[in-house]
Amino acid sequence: MSSLADVQAAVRQSLITNDVEAVKALLAGGADPARRFAIHQRHYQTSLVNAILGKFPATVWLVGSDAVADAARAYVRVSPPERPCIAEYGDTFPAFLARHERAPALPCLESFAELEWLAGQVSIAVDRPRMAWPAVASMGIAGLLRARLRLQPGLRYLRASWAIDGLMSAYLTDSVPARFVLDQTDRYLEIRGARGALHIGSLGAATYTFRSALFGRRPLGEAAEAALGADEAFDAGRELMELVAAGLVTAVGR
Amino acid sequence: MQDGVATRRSIAPRARRAAGVGLRLPHLTEVATSAPPAAWFEVHPENFLANPHAMELLHAIAGRYAISVHTVGVSIGSAGGIDRVHLARLRQFVLDLDPILVSGHLAWSTHEDAYLNDLLPLPYDDETLRLVATQLHLVQDAIGRPYLVENPSSYVGVGTSTMTEVEFLAELARRTDCLLLCDVSNVFLSGHNMGYDPYRYIDRFPAAAVGELHLGGFVREADEGAPGDEILIDSHSTVIAEPVWQLYAHAVRRFGPAPTLIEWDNDIPPLSTLLAEATRADTVSARALMGQAV
Repeated sequence: MSSLADVQAAVRQSLITNDVEAVKALLAGGADPARRFAIHQRHYQTSLVNAILGKFPATVWLVGSDAVADAARAYVRVSPPERPCIAEYGDTFPAFLARHERAPALPCLESFAELEWLAGQVSIAVDRPRMAWPAVASMGIAGLLRARLRLQPGLRYLRASWAIDGLMSAYLTDSVPARFVLDQTDRYLEIRGARGALHIGSLGAATYTFRSALFGRRPLGEAAEAALGADEAFDAGRELMELVAAGLVTAVGR
Repeated sequence: MQDGVATRRSIAPRARRAAGVGLRLPHLTEVATSAPPAAWFEVHPENFLANPHAMELLHAIAGRYAISVHTVGVSIGSAGGIDRVHLARLRQFVLDLDPILVSGHLAWSTHEDAYLNDLLPLPYDDETLRLVATQLHLVQDAIGRPYLVENPSSYVGVGTSTMTEVEFLAELARRTDCLLLCDVSNVFLSGHNMGYDPYRYIDRFPAAAVGELHLGGFVREADEGAPGDEILIDSHSTVIAEPVWQLYAHAVRRFGPAPTLIEWDNDIPPLSTLLAEATRADTVSARALMGQAV
């Protein structure tokens, strides 16, 4: 007799691979329990594929629902969710989609889908109280250089090799021209959102380096050095003041 | 942990006698801003834990309505143990909202590193009973209150079961002092699918442990393994079927009044449709308790 662990291992395998043979002998109910089990297989696949499609409507618009759904069906087989919150599922789908054998050969596909994923994440964020400049400045220069800033939770940074922000903007505003020329150019994107609102901004290389380093919790001194590597005229003090003035800094710590 | 009856009494003053409705994301802003005439709302924490904006709206709603928490992610039947990370998140969710009820399914959904996004059947035997009882104690300790275990919707079972679902639930309630959530629609459709009498199921259900009732819609499909037969799918996508209202009246007569929830998770209609179903549940319940036909 199989232990519960054995039964569950077999059911998991059958569910994900859509192959009922491993569990056929374990099942009971109805005239053909194996066909009944297909209801669970169908639910697993359909619910997760629909969840992926729901998170990537712009990508569906770009390459078509067949291509995205086909990749999503393969994705749910090789990358089941790891947690019960399905809102967190799909972060690795952009890379999977771009490499999927039946996906269109579109060079910007991965970064466009990644932008859409990040946009979805920030749009459900809630702003934390912003820090005012006097509180930041009170740390002094030496303290600030060692400090790690905490930025708003509804912020993400993405570097792309194509002008995907223009394409996304055209989709979001339903203003796609008959012919859209996608420029191949470095884009340094700041994706900002909260409570359903969304803004995708384009930064200079040095500002992007500075802000994304701070977002990654690197000390302010290190972030400034990295930004100076991108532009030797980078003014860290001014950039920090702008960041605070924009309400993007919520805490300063070590 | 108190015994089931005493705990149910302690819940009763806070739970509304009127039926509540499931609060899903499409209705969240409407409920937060317009205060519709609902008795109480039930939420799935998994819809909110990774969505701070939805959580913010839910906090506002919880200030005006009683909230019931119904988890689909605890997986009390997983042989590999409960996902402790998710349990910790659930615990914080419950502490934040102070719900009138916390419930989940007699099923499993998690295997090792995979969450399978479905409520999968368990073998009803001693091994499963020991495991579920142990894990249920962990859950109840974590959330600091009774956990209501819901009878699942069934299309297929595990052939090695040595006891019926009702026997399993009754023994689970006896061992853990958990409460039971009787999903009347699940009883009806599982009875149809698995070939048992749903009225007999209700008659044998441990009434003293019942803390809540559920009602949801189902759809009919051809049973591919039995040409000409139908199988009922627990879709939560339509109104409650007439035979289920009859079974609900029978359940109310047997169990007495209990908080009743209208579930609707797919093809979600306007909130007014859910509220109308809740009103009908109140009417059916009242008539059943007065001994009138429904």
